[in-house]
Amino acid sequence: MIAARLAWGNLGLHRRKSLLIGMIMGMGILILFLGNSLIDTALSGLQRMFVQGYTGDLMITGPTEFPTTVLGETAGSEEVLPHIAQIKKYEDFLASRSDVASTLPLLSGQVSFGIGETELGSGYCFGVNIEDYRNFFPDNVTLVNGDWPTTDEGPWVLLSEPTLALLNKSASSPVGPGTKIIMSALANSAGTVIREVTVKGVIKFNQSNQQLAGITLVDADTMRDLLGFASLRDGAPVLSAQEAAFVAGFDPESLFTDLFVESDPTTANGVAQEVQDAKQGDSAQSTGQGMNSFLEQTNFVADVVPTWQFLLVRVKPGADASRLISDLSAFSEKIGDGDRVQDWISGAGRVARTAVTIRLAFNLLVAVVAVVVVMIMMNVLVISVNERLYEIGTLRAIGAKRRVVRNMILFETTFLALIAGAAGLLVGLVLLLVLGKIGIRAPNLFFEALFGGQVLTPMVSGRAAITAFLWILAIGLGASWYPTIVALRIEPVVAMRGD
Amino acid sequence: MSDIIISLDKVRKVYFLDTVEVEALKDISLDIHAGDFVSIAGPSGSGKTTILNLIGCVDKPTSGTVIVHGKRTSDLDDDSLTELRHRSIGFIFQSFNLIPVLNIRENVELPLLLDGRSGSEHKADRKDWVDYLIESVGLKDRMLHKPAELSGGQRQRVAIARALVMKPAIVLADEPTANLDSATGESILRLMRHMNETLGTTFIFSTHDPDIVEEADHLIRLRDGRIVEDRRIHGKTSIDFAVARGTNEAVDATETEGGQP
Repeated sequence: MIAARLAWGNLGLHRRKSLLIGMIMGMGILILFLGNSLIDTALSGLQRMFVQGYTGDLMITGPTEFPTTVLGETAGSEEVLPHIAQIKKYEDFLASRSDVASTLPLLSGQVSFGIGETELGSGYCFGVNIEDYRNFFPDNVTLVNGDWPTTDEGPWVLLSEPTLALLNKSASSPVGPGTKIIMSALANSAGTVIREVTVKGVIKFNQSNQQLAGITLVDADTMRDLLGFASLRDGAPVLSAQEAAFVAGFDPESLFTDLFVESDPTTANGVAQEVQDAKQGDSAQSTGQGMNSFLEQTNFVADVVPTWQFLLVRVKPGADASRLISDLSAFSEKIGDGDRVQDWISGAGRVARTAVTIRLAFNLLVAVVAVVVVMIMMNVLVISVNERLYEIGTLRAIGAKRRVVRNMILFETTFLALIAGAAGLLVGLVLLLVLGKIGIRAPNLFFEALFGGQVLTPMVSGRAAITAFLWILAIGLGASWYPTIVALRIEPVVAMRGD
Repeated sequence: MSDIIISLDKVRKVYFLDTVEVEALKDISLDIHAGDFVSIAGPSGSGKTTILNLIGCVDKPTSGTVIVHGKRTSDLDDDSLTELRHRSIGFIFQSFNLIPVLNIRENVELPLLLDGRSGSEHKADRKDWVDYLIESVGLKDRMLHKPAELSGGQRQRVAIARALVMKPAIVLADEPTANLDSATGESILRLMRHMNETLGTTFIFSTHDPDIVEEADHLIRLRDGRIVEDRRIHGKTSIDFAVARGTNEAVDATETEGGQP
């Protein structure tokens, strides 16, 4: 193709300008590739840590105005995160999906620890069914000391190593498996709740940062107590027929209507009479049967679903989590309780959001720099076109259509992008491999959280390489837009004017 | 008499330089016959290059009609004019205007490459034809050199080969010897004449060199944008078109065939 041949030749003929533009493009690719690779490394490390250890791929929470982290932190509210009222419906919905690998209900909040009347410290707690938890996060928790609790055991607590160290720092005698400790929390409606629990073991999180390493696991019922929710430790409530009838016909709105109207005694007597009639009728039929039999027939076990604040979801490998989020959000809208469906980034909180924000800010910065680069490149290319007036005029005179001239300029830019891109990516690759060997040490706790450890070991990101190249190609083609217009305006008559 | 390949009728060309109007051509009418070796002579600023621009379809007249190879140029859009230039007209420029990044062979071949025909049968024909032209202009051993490595005369020979590569009906040469010494200029003129006779291509060249003017079959002399002499040498008798048309200044003209060098 003649346009490509001419473009290639021109790059060689105008070496200095080609070198200048090539260096700008190469530096751009290098910075983009390195920057995005570092951010991708940090973000993928955070994603791996949170998804595999704390949040799952996505989560459903009780109704909140703002996103809530899995530690129960939410902007704009100090109150305990509400529970998911119709969690069963979500569980059924998720069970019907082929892209869902597993789910885990969870409670979360901040509690204080003490022994006797001495408060020793506070920390974050997850209230869980331990077997479900270990199945959902099979690789993240290691038992350092003691035993795993059994399903029906309780109340129990698995202290994390930092929490154990905190307690031992102030405790009069060593805390360990078997020690009874006091856990207390300020629940919404119940005021301060205090529970005594037995330390069942000491755990360690394999992937964590300073905040996550201190999480303590506690049995779900104790956590419900501490958060002010009804626990099911003693099973579901058993109601008498009268209570069941009352609950079945109970209208909360009626409590606030006709407050000053005298109640109709016949109505209350009527209900009581109905129940009495039922009992008598039953008694008549149950002649010769014991009291237990009578109770079995007349008492009702309340259909109560355990209270959970979170339902964590893991998707199957290769499944699209964002699609599931979208479908779940639509389902949640249909339920109408205002529950929130959010991704792992919202669940992870500040650190992950910061990493995402840094990437956004970096790309924004790149966009601003790109505008400046486009201006510089555009100027150089316009000068280059103006220096080739006679050449382009001659091409037009001897029969080159405008598209040949346009393609020639576009090929020049594309070749430069390819060469400079390859050079920039190669240098970036070498730098990343070197940095990968020596690592980047976090200068402070913030970066430590961001890096997911004290040292960030950058990885080569293919996505970053492709993004960088596409950016530069777009910048190059953008920069050649105006010079191409200038070139296309050159009339063939220019060739006749002489060099 | 051969067919008329180019016809200008009452052509005016006005350039606007800021607020000043410059009338480069004033009611020019002329006909050029296929296969002629035509010289457009005149001093600087007389309108020679303007006429070539109009005939070469790189410019349009302010008024009047220009017909090239049967096509009225004012009726054609940019693509059609480009196509007409590409197929029917070859250009030889005063400053050679070779493409510096291409070697001699590529420069000669360039108009063919712009054609977009890439079939293997065309490729073979194309190669033979390009080789023949390069050999004809005496640059066979310089085929892979870049223009910057050639002398002025050699570059103009390349330009002649390039102008002929599409086998055009017309070749326009704007002062082709102006940048060359007299000996080289003469050899270039002889080459053009040779090609004109061998291929039957119409050559139209502008010059202000009186010696070169005498080479022509058809002489058009300009002054201040008007034709002052329009003389076609046919056999032993020249025809004074200006007198015949009655629009331009009549010139007494008698020429013999033996007048040619």
